[in-house]
Amino acid sequence: MTVTFTINGVQVEAEAGGSVLDTARRYGFEVPSLCHHEAVVPYGACRMCLTEITRGKRRKITTSCNYEVLPGIEVRTDTPEVRRHQSMVLELILAKAPENKALRDLAARYGLRVPRFARVARQKIKDCILCGLCARVCSESIGAHALTFTGRGDLRDVGVPFQGEPRTCIGCGSCASVCPTSCIVMEDTRTTRKIWDRTFRFVACDVCGGPVMTEEHKEHAIKTAGLPAEYYKTCPTCRQNGLAGHFARVGS
Amino acid sequence: MDKTYVLVPRKCIGCRTCELACSFVHSNDGKLGRSRIHVHPIAEGHFIQMNCLQCVEAACVKVCPTKALARSEDTGAVRLLEGRCIGCALCATACPFGHIHFDRPAGLPVKCDLCGGEPACAKFCPSKALEMR
Ligand code: SF4
Ligand code: SF4
Ligand code: FES
Repeated sequence: MTVTFTINGVQVEAEAGGSVLDTARRYGFEVPSLCHHEAVVPYGACRMCLTEITRGKRRKITTSCNYEVLPGIEVRTDTPEVRRHQSMVLELILAKAPENKALRDLAARYGLRVPRFARVARQKIKDCILCGLCARVCSESIGAHALTFTGRGDLRDVGVPFQGEPRTCIGCGSCASVCPTSCIVMEDTRTTRKIWDRTFRFVACDVCGGPVMTEEHKEHAIKTAGLPAEYYKTCPTCRQNGLAGHFARVGS
Repeated sequence: MDKTYVLVPRKCIGCRTCELACSFVHSNDGKLGRSRIHVHPIAEGHFIQMNCLQCVEAACVKVCPTKALARSEDTGAVRLLEGRCIGCALCATACPFGHIHFDRPAGLPVKCDLCGGEPACAKFCPSKALEMR
């Protein structure tokens, strides 16, 4: 079912069940976000995606990532009030990671330079803003359930449950790819990948010996992705080179 | 989808203009490594261009855990929906032809989408070795 409403005075359409944020972006309206990702269920942790939503006689400033589209609502993404609230939220987030590049770039758009608040970073991972996107992607998209929130209040943290090594992690690197502050450290060598304090061995390419993927990611892919093990024997570069060589032989 | 993307290796002169055009259009970057198309020398004075085949039963589409790769109805190309991609790199690992590379700093795969029907590589190829016809 399609739902019709307005964003900044423009009439828009969205599938029922969709979010105001995704719809706004689809129509080219800019709304900032940090904890949002289309691949996972909305979570509403960072509060950066605030917009003004009027429903009947009620008008409120609320997060758009977890606000389901409704017929007839009026959304404003760019009022001075919306920006003031977003700016305040960002200033608070900045107190957790004052030097982070991604956050500072965003802050520059609000004319924020030095946050008024003292640094409150007690998280174990430098620059983590506790948005939980890594843990959600790991559980919902990968199905590895390697990460979780730990602790409470100001001791809240994201990471491996019960500390130590992440036992169910497959070293796929998705968490590092999606982290909005790029604070998850992943170190690759030609033969190993280190992430969350655990070191994985890479499957070595049959041709060049270079990295294909971690052994655990390969096992996981064979089980879940429906392609046989032969698909994961060589690295993309060698596969393409091999194909070019094959055509060369056929052509000559 | 009335036109087909055609590679004619016989006409390729190995100038790599296609790689430059691709890299520029998609990543605002002159780095050939960011290109989705790659030119391989195969013999003295002979080259072959390698690019995504937009497979009908695509391995990349099959393995993607988030449905971030989907067939575009207007061009027939398998397109990356960036907002859905979580950067697991499995598509790059699964493509049997090695036509997807993973851009680690960006956390995204590098994959041809036929530029929405007007591929930049074909537009800039000086020798008509890449064409929409
Ligand atoms: S690298 Fe490990 S923790 Fe990160 S998403 Fe993959 S399985 Fe989860
Ligand atoms: S890197 Fe992105 S597009 Fe490729 S399989 Fe992973 S989620 Fe899908
Ligand atoms: S994107 Fe909506 S709360 Fe983070």
